[in-house]
Amino acid sequence: MFLYSISLIGLLLLSCIVQQFLPPVSSWYDARILILPLIVLCGSVTVSTGIMLILAYLGGFLWDAQQILSVTQGDPFVYQNSPDSLKFGYSVVLYTLMGFLMQGIRPIFREGKWYLSAILAGIAIFLYLFVEYLLRGFVVGGFHKNDGMIQQIWASSVLTMLLSPLVFWILFRFADLCGHTIRYKK
Amino acid sequence: MKPLNFLALILFVAGLVWVFTLSEKSVRHIQRSYYSAISPLISKGSETEAFANKFLEEVEHSADLEKRVEQVIEERDRFKLIAGRVRELEAENNQLRNALDFKKKTQFDVVAARVIRKQPQMWGKTIEIDRGTDDGFEADPEFDLCVLASNGGLVGRLQLSGEQISSVLLITDEISQVSAEVEGTSEVGIIVGRQTTFGQTPRLRLRYLSKTAILQKGMKVYTDGRGKLFPPNIPIGTIEDFEVGPVYGEAEIKPAVDFTNLKNVFVITDSPGD
Repeated sequence: MFLYSISLIGLLLLSCIVQQFLPPVSSWYDARILILPLIVLCGSVTVSTGIMLILAYLGGFLWDAQQILSVTQGDPFVYQNSPDSLKFGYSVVLYTLMGFLMQGIRPIFREGKWYLSAILAGIAIFLYLFVEYLLRGFVVGGFHKNDGMIQQIWASSVLTMLLSPLVFWILFRFADLCGHTIRYKK
Repeated sequence: MKPLNFLALILFVAGLVWVFTLSEKSVRHIQRSYYSAISPLISKGSETEAFANKFLEEVEHSADLEKRVEQVIEERDRFKLIAGRVRELEAENNQLRNALDFKKKTQFDVVAARVIRKQPQMWGKTIEIDRGTDDGFEADPEFDLCVLASNGGLVGRLQLSGEQISSVLLITDEISQVSAEVEGTSEVGIIVGRQTTFGQTPRLRLRYLSKTAILQKGMKVYTDGRGKLFPPNIPIGTIEDFEVGPVYGEAEIKPAVDFTNLKNVFVITDSPGD
């Protein structure tokens, strides 16, 4: 279990680097493969709640370190209504919620029905991006419905979901190498 | 609850409290450290990506090459005729360019940079350029360095710098704010970015204008130098539309910079206050 958890964290760090080299698919709503959240989601269903919390924390922290925009604020006399950006750490909360969602179907996953987890990973990514989109709208201000953005969110979710079988396959290989049991023993 | 899970929960809650109570300075420090750590990889990766793209382009173009040779021969004769006129224009252009370069040099100290990646993030509108702390960009400046396009238009400002790369927040992002004035009027306001998606041309909003402002389509908008973020008189864009709201007037601005075809930029290395 310990070795598997360490390798999972290693995979998470690797995904941070890989994420940098995954460009948007401009021909399909600028969709993106979100490999880092996917590792957290797929990893969450293969470990206990305690490890899932650590994984979600690390994933959220690294995600915010990559994604949160921070700039120097100008003279408050001129820039009286400086826009707020999302608080650093919000992704930790969202990743944890997604992790609990995945943990909910862990018994089914352990029976060998990994494809249900793959579908749920896609749904979780959609919910995550949608909540993030809403939060950004409300925090930054001037929220308005943007159909293009919704299309980008669902396309990204589908694209990321399609990659989840590969991630599960890697996790199963890691588990075999580390002697960690993911499925119920027959 | 298992003891291990309980311990993890305690650690998680403690970590959550810590992360939510981080100061803005600490967050920027974390982000800079993270960016510095991954910037060598991004730099190498973008070189590899550029090499791969060039190779693919060459392969793609080889099939068309034969057809193009025939076209080129035809066009060559036509170009010979206009070559004489072009030489005259070139000489004139060089003179103007030298004058412009001189003017730029006297106004700002700039460092040229190549755009190596566009919008690496899901939401934020940023680009990455091939210059960083190795080129003299300060790692922890009191102000963010200002970035211009080759036409002199405002692109944005540096938000993070690694050794060989930097991340630039574009003025089209929603959290970007630029104090601006409308040419030929006393109207001043704040330029903010607008949410756009694929295929959409980026647009800006000029907010907090007076309700009685008389603005027309095509009027130019410049930075006004207030607020210590940007030097004055940098072109931002032109007015497309003006609406009067309940409290303020608001104008839609077409940016002076073509963000979709941005390849080279210039970073102003002196402070806006200098």
